[in-house]
Amino acid sequence: MSKVTKAKYTSEASVGFTHRTAMEEAARCLLCHDAPCSKGCPAGTDPARFIRSIRFRNPKGAAETIRENNVLGGTCARVCPTGDLCEEACSRCGIDKPIEIGKLQRYAVEQEKTFKMKVLKTPAKKKAGKVACVGAGPASLACAAELAKAGYRVTVFEKEEKAGGVLTYGIAPSRLPQAVVDHDVAQVKGLGVKFEFGRKVGDGIDLSQMGFDAVFIGAGLWGGNLPDIPGKGLAGAYTAVDFLKSARTKQEAFDFGKRVVVVGGGDVAVDCAVTAKLLGADEVRIVYRRTLEEAPGSMSEFQYALSLGIGITTNMAPAELVGESKLEYAMFNGRDGKSGLKIAADAIVFATGQKAEDMSKIMPVALNEKGLVKATAKGKTNMAKVFAGGDVVNGGGTVVEAVKAGKDAAASIIAYLEKKGVK
Amino acid sequence: MAVKKDLSIKYLGIECENPFFLSSSPVGGNYEMVAKAYEAGWGGVFFKTVGVFVADECSPRFDQTNKEGLPWLGFKNMEQISDKPTELNFENMMKLKRDYPDKVMVATIMGSSDEEWRALAKMCEQAGADLIEGNFSCPQMTSHAMGADVGTDPELVTAYSKAVTETTKIPFIAKMTPNITNIEIPAIAAIEGGAAGISAINTVKSITNIDFENMTGMPVVNGKSSISGYSGAAIKPIALRFAAQMLQHEKLKNVEISGVGGIETWRDAAEFLALGCRNVQVTTAIMQYGYRIVEDLKSGMMHFMDERGYGKLDDFIGAALPNMIPAEDLNRDFQILPDFNEKKCIGCGRCYVSCFDGAHQAIDWDEKRRKPKLNDHCVGCHLCLNVCPVQGCITPGEIKWKEGRQKTEVALKRNYD
Repeated sequence: MSKVTKAKYTSEASVGFTHRTAMEEAARCLLCHDAPCSKGCPAGTDPARFIRSIRFRNPKGAAETIRENNVLGGTCARVCPTGDLCEEACSRCGIDKPIEIGKLQRYAVEQEKTFKMKVLKTPAKKKAGKVACVGAGPASLACAAELAKAGYRVTVFEKEEKAGGVLTYGIAPSRLPQAVVDHDVAQVKGLGVKFEFGRKVGDGIDLSQMGFDAVFIGAGLWGGNLPDIPGKGLAGAYTAVDFLKSARTKQEAFDFGKRVVVVGGGDVAVDCAVTAKLLGADEVRIVYRRTLEEAPGSMSEFQYALSLGIGITTNMAPAELVGESKLEYAMFNGRDGKSGLKIAADAIVFATGQKAEDMSKIMPVALNEKGLVKATAKGKTNMAKVFAGGDVVNGGGTVVEAVKAGKDAAASIIAYLEKKGVK
Repeated sequence: MAVKKDLSIKYLGIECENPFFLSSSPVGGNYEMVAKAYEAGWGGVFFKTVGVFVADECSPRFDQTNKEGLPWLGFKNMEQISDKPTELNFENMMKLKRDYPDKVMVATIMGSSDEEWRALAKMCEQAGADLIEGNFSCPQMTSHAMGADVGTDPELVTAYSKAVTETTKIPFIAKMTPNITNIEIPAIAAIEGGAAGISAINTVKSITNIDFENMTGMPVVNGKSSISGYSGAAIKPIALRFAAQMLQHEKLKNVEISGVGGIETWRDAAEFLALGCRNVQVTTAIMQYGYRIVEDLKSGMMHFMDERGYGKLDDFIGAALPNMIPAEDLNRDFQILPDFNEKKCIGCGRCYVSCFDGAHQAIDWDEKRRKPKLNDHCVGCHLCLNVCPVQGCITPGEIKWKEGRQKTEVALKRNYD
């Protein structure tokens, strides 16, 4: 009999390091020359540097290294797929297992909080340039922070009541506690970035009339994406976005039934399944249309789902939802053309990718056939003063990729403003 | 069937079931503790030092040093000699000897005058102690007429040794302090005073850490601290050196030495024996792990003897001593170049960093393949071998003879743990 973990919705999935255990882990680090881990981070975080700081009893220095590079350092420590990035590159894999870099990063950021450090600072002399960032998700937050650090005046417009975007309204709090997101957001606020909450750009807000020198679109993907199958309109069929957001806002009051099927193979699918389980569902299954090997989600996340007693079925794609007024069962077809599956369920959650909302309402930028904003790797769109990055450009990536996109776009914006002579 | 080897040894004429003893310290200060240690398998005990002086202790009284998260690299102790009444201590020793006649009881004593030493020696005899140890070395006494201050004064060492050996026929062991340049001087003084054996070393005077909260050393006693004895793994190299220096001295080579300092494992103990010690004492490792460590001291030692084909401890006692020679007598005609095992190499580059920054820039770094490559600057210092985290990756390789030197057969170490 396997022992299944019982936990509360808001209880953390893992415990962090103490000074002692962090030092033990840092002592396992080989302190490589030209460390491969430091080349493994999309956002350019330098784990070799901050682990060395921990090892030489300088946790404050470690916190600085992280925060200076990544304004969402606390969040990334929790949600980064480190197993595919820095930890995969770790030389220690050649001996036994990689250094727990994400967890050491978490420890370092916690020191920042413990010691009430204020790492990021704005220049004494502010610049005149004004920039609007659309959305308060990872890409926008990273972009806003970089611009504020350079002295520009930044306003973030957010349709919801809290900052964080997918961090606050998407990811399960067991994986990413709200306090961690709030602490990261506080760093951005601490740089003097202004936040306009409850204001959806496009709905009566026309940025082109508000005197901004540049605009960054980091609006994320909040358009529902139910597959086009019979019965998709039944009550009990949710998009991942709606399901996770309802869970985050209503928590235990969110009544979605006792039997839940989650469709998808990414970390978001796992988040939905874990959320359903921790909020009290008896039976939760993840059904994915391909194999685990092909799944975009991290193995560690699947393992966490398993530890909670969530089942995983592969090579099955949704075919039909059946029920009178509400969902009764879902039908799946096997990838082999022969197998099939019928699952009775109160709710089915489609974590099969999200769509962008109508971006042309924000700015008349060029979009691709999927409705995503067309932008270069450095965040430039077809409009000189409009920049974009994150999920709304790449169609859905990791938080750390959004951070990189936000940082890169900020660099492009700064170059643009300097060229234009905006001081 | 577990390996069985004879660990018995005669120390100063006393039959010991094994050479593993508790040293005179907090780990052996009353009946219950020593009885438990005996039951656990220790061969004998140097009972916590008894004086006419009864200690008044401070609180707290311990601290430890650590490195890279590894605690107890070294340990600091401010406790003095026994804080129990003198008579009670001797009564406990007597009871222990009565209840455990096959175990060895060494009464460790410390006086502050000729008369005190004589009186204490008499009490040892009455208690039935097998051996007497004179503590000339405790570095944290509140009286300067006792402890390490006595141990650095050869005249006092001779006088007090005489006081004991004139009082009783029980063999007398003098415990030496390492807080001195030439330990041989007080050791010879003790032998001249009639001592039969030497215990070495007591703890090293230390300040382990500074506490910035109170701006004083550790441990913090009402905002203050004092210099006191350092022990544990960190001091083993110092203890081994003192043991070897005494045993290589013409006047001390036949003296039976009990080795003390940083012993945790059978390997540490075997090292003291290989240099010529005939007994070993442990405290710090017991304070950290308990009496049970004697199980692996014994078992590990038996496996070692089995592996090497030794029938008894005397088969290897002193075997390493003749091979410790003066620096000027070492053969300096060759260089052993390191051999890099490409298959085992994980590409961390630590050898490259250390060779460049700490040695001879003899390793080139292949950035693309992440592999080290030896160039002709290598002098065979083996810093790379010592820093490599992978077992068996960097090993001794080709022997290169210096220009015009005579080639001979070279004995070298091939296996690194």
